[in-house]
Order: sequence, then C-alpha cells, then structure tokens
Amino acid sequence: MDIAPARGGGFFSALAPRGKAVFFALTATAVCLLFAFPAFWLVLTSLRPGTGVYYVHRGTEFTIDNFHDVLSQEIVLKALFNSFMISTAATVLSLGVTATSGYMLSRFKGPIPNTWFSLIYIFRCVPYVAWVLPLYFVTQRLHIFDSYWGLLLPHIAVHICFFSWIMKGFFDGIDPSMEYAAMIDGCSRWGAFWRVAMPAAIPGLTALAILCWLYTWNEFLFALILTAHETPILTVVMAQFVHELGMEWHLMSATAVIALVPALIVTLFGQRYVIRGLRI
Amino acid sequence: MNEKTRFMLALITPAALVLMLFQIVPILTGANVSFRDWTLHDPKRTWVGLANYVHVLRDVEFLEIVLPNTFGFMFATVALSLLLGLMIALMLNKRFPGRWLVQSFVLLPLMVAPVIAAIMIRWMFNDQFGVVNAALEGLGLAPISWLTQRWTTFLVILLTDVWLWTPWFGLILLAGLQSLPREPFEAARIDAASAWRTFRYITLPMLRPVMVVCIVIRAIDAFRTFDIVWTISGGGPARATEVFSIYAYVESFQFLNLARGSAAAVIGAIIIVIFALLLYRILNRFVEVSK
Repeated sequence: MDIAPARGGGFFSALAPRGKAVFFALTATAVCLLFAFPAFWLVLTSLRPGTGVYYVHRGTEFTIDNFHDVLSQEIVLKALFNSFMISTAATVLSLGVTATSGYMLSRFKGPIPNTWFSLIYIFRCVPYVAWVLPLYFVTQRLHIFDSYWGLLLPHIAVHICFFSWIMKGFFDGIDPSMEYAAMIDGCSRWGAFWRVAMPAAIPGLTALAILCWLYTWNEFLFALILTAHETPILTVVMAQFVHELGMEWHLMSATAVIALVPALIVTLFGQRYVIRGLRI
Repeated sequence: MNEKTRFMLALITPAALVLMLFQIVPILTGANVSFRDWTLHDPKRTWVGLANYVHVLRDVEFLEIVLPNTFGFMFATVALSLLLGLMIALMLNKRFPGRWLVQSFVLLPLMVAPVIAAIMIRWMFNDQFGVVNAALEGLGLAPISWLTQRWTTFLVILLTDVWLWTPWFGLILLAGLQSLPREPFEAARIDAASAWRTFRYITLPMLRPVMVVCIVIRAIDAFRTFDIVWTISGGGPARATEVFSIYAYVESFQFLNLARGSAAAVIGAIIIVIFALLLYRILNRFVEVSK
C-alpha cells in the first residue's frame, strides 16, 4: 500500500511546509481512490448495457435501463421493503435487549454477571457455519421460517454478544453516582436505569444503532438460509442475479447501487454520531 | 432471592431468552450431531463418541492447509487493517479542507454488502475480463490468472477483507483518538517533541486499551470468516485456500458428513475461545507494562 508515510512524522518534518501539504493531499487522494475503487466499479458496471459488461473498461455506451429493469421487478421492490423493515426492527430490538444486558454487566459484580459474560464471550466464538443449519431446523420447528420473526430473532441473537460487550463499555464510562443519587431521592432501580443512565448513553446507542442497521442491511448468510420465496431479502436477490439466472452483472450492479443509497444516507448523516459515540 | 438479584436477572432475561433459543439450542444441537455417525448409510445415528473429532484432527488437509490458512489469514488481516485503520484515524483526526469528503470515501466499504463486494472483486480479478488484468496489460505487464493459484487467490481474499474492515478500525480508533485528553499533547508541543515521538510515547500508549478490544473482536471474526472466502474462491483452487469455516461447510454439505463438519466447527470454536482469551491476556499485559 502506498500510504505508509501518512504516519511518519519524521518524514513529514523533513519536508518543507508547502511540500508537506501537497504530500498530505496526495496521500488523502490515494486513500480515497483505493477505498472507493470497487464501489466506483460497481456504479460503472450498473451503467453499462448488458452486452458491455464483459469489457466494462472499454466502450462508451452508457444506459440507465438497468435501473429501470430492476425496479420493474416485483421481487426487488419487495426485497427492498423487507430488508428495510428487518434492518430497522432488528436495530431497535437488539439495542433494547442489549442496553439492559450491558448495563447489568457494567453495574454489578458477582457470579451472575460473570456467568453471563463468559456465556456471551464463548458463544461469540462459535462459527456461523456450526450454527445456521441447526437454526434452520429451530425456525422450522417454531413455524417462523421464512417470516420476519424467523430472520429477526436470529439477528438479535447475533448482536447480543458483541453489543452487550460494547454497551458495557459505554456504561462503564458513565459515572454511576448520579444513579445512586436518584435512588436515594426515591427513584426505583428501573427508574435510575431508564431516566438517568439511558439518556447519558445516547451517543453510544446512536453509534451502535447506525452500525447495527448497516450490518443487518448487508448481511447475507442468515438471509440466504433462513428465508425463501415469502420473504425475499435484498442481498440474496442481488446475489441470485449472478448465480441462478446466469451472469447478469449489469442487473446485479444496478440492484447493488440501489441498495447502496439508503446505506449511504445512513452513513453520511450518521458518521458524526458514530465517531462521537463509539468510545469503548 | 433479594430485590437486587431479581433486578439483575430481569435486565438480562430478554437477551438470555433470545440467546438461549436462537444460539445456544442450535449450537448444542450441532454439537450433539458431532458425536454421532451421521453418514447416509446409518439411519440409527449411532453414538460414536470422539471418532469424528479424531478423524478431523488426523486429517492432513485440516492440519497442514486449513489451520495454517486460518491463522495466517487472521494475523495478516488483523495486522494490516489495524495498521491502515490507525493511519486513517490519525489522518482524519487532523483538520484539513475536504476532511468530510475523505471520511465519506473511507467509509464506503462499510456500506457495500460484503457478499456483493466479494462478487465484484472476483469479477475485477477475472483473468479474461477483469479490470486488474486489463490494467496490467495496459502497463505492458503479463496478465496473471489470479484465482487459479494458491497464493494469488489468498492475496485477493486478504486484500478484500482488509478493504472491508479497515474503515471499521479507522472509525473506532478515530473515536478513541478524539476522546483522548488534550493536556499531554499540549505538554509535548511545549517541549517541542517531534511528531513521531508524540505518536510513539503519547498517542499509542493512550490508545492501547481501545486497540486491544478491537484486535480481540476482529481476530475472533477473522478466524471464522466464511462468506468472502466462499464467494471469491470457494476454498479453491483444489481446497488450497480453505479456512476452517469453509472446511466445516465442505465436510457437511459437499461430502455430506454433517457429523464431521460439526466436529470441525466445534474444534474451531474451542481453538478460538482459548486463543482469544490468551490474546486478550497478553495484550492487556502489554498495556499494563507500558503504563
């Protein structure tokens, strides 16, 4: 990678101030290009006609028909809607469930928190492969396979381990003396949690909400195994343009670009909150 | 049970229920399978004890290809994305015109679905139609058939993973940098410390706790990587880039021996639980010493 000197203060100070600024700008541009290139390529492919995708880098025909084609397919629209609903619901529910669990880990000591922490730590390490297939049978047994709940609840289960850990970090950073004061003034334990600790944790919660939404929006393996025709999910629909219906790169790219838009909006508006909130 | 215990239990009940039903039960079901003969010609699913584990632990493929691949991949991807993420965090922690734009570009990989990124990368590295080989030819170099050799395939997978995860490191480290107290940096500036020494003796030690958590979380995830390896190479060519999730999947669904696949998954889980614990201890020791 060609951005190594970005860190080297010694190298920087050897340059004249002007050269330093130019060098910095060049590095920044190089980093941008490097990170944007695959995404840029995706956009470019989505704008090429079906016959042109084998030589995306040659030829000059561009078209927006791909987007029209994709958006006129009912399954894509349905998948967009489903993915949006699942991501949003998974975010709200995961945060609700893990805020309490992280608070518990942060505020209490003893055998119960220790057991709970080792449990979530150990189960975080189990690979997904060992997990999705039995999960398929569990959702079948509970008659929630291929429904919103059948995908939502496993997603929440995925987030529990990681988020509880991070939430513990958030609450560790909040001074508990305010909660004690509230309890002395007659607030219940729940009241102290809900009215005092939660508002203080909002920056962290916002950051986590954004990451959680993006993660669920882009998740593939669970969606692939736990849904079928009833509940199409966007990532699966996209991947199927390349697997089952032949190699329709242009349609896959067009769908992927459409999928990028909500993610882009969430990230662009959310990045400030993420950086402010993510302090482990 | 006193009131405090009840409160503690109530706080974790919803999480514990979901975890129980959708993680612990499926995983234990899978583990149960790993102790049985699950091949097609044994309808009784005879209990065979540790036979499947012994088989996996004696498999040359597992010992000489899968384990080195998995650990090599884990070390390489964590080290590279940590280093790049740190550089990006340091860069974005400065004020300069267009910072917002650079930050948005850097965050792009977080927005693309990993499976789509992997499909795209496979396409870009295609030996006939890919843009990478077209660029090589444009530079007058010989095209490389990237995905038919072990090390080039490994490199492509590694770079994809680094691309996907560097922003994550960058974001968390940037958050960490911005929460550091200012006084030590001001003191360093008054003492005319060089940028490198400020970084080495102030920034790095103060950032270490955040880095430890990042490294451990990411190492666990890298160890069980599945989707991008599966999409880019499928473990090929000729099983040469299999990591252990792929090994478990291939044993279960291509060789149709669910028991052996589950045994491999359990072995992997045990390895990473112990490894992550050791890693956490060792890294924390570093932090203590550096204080």
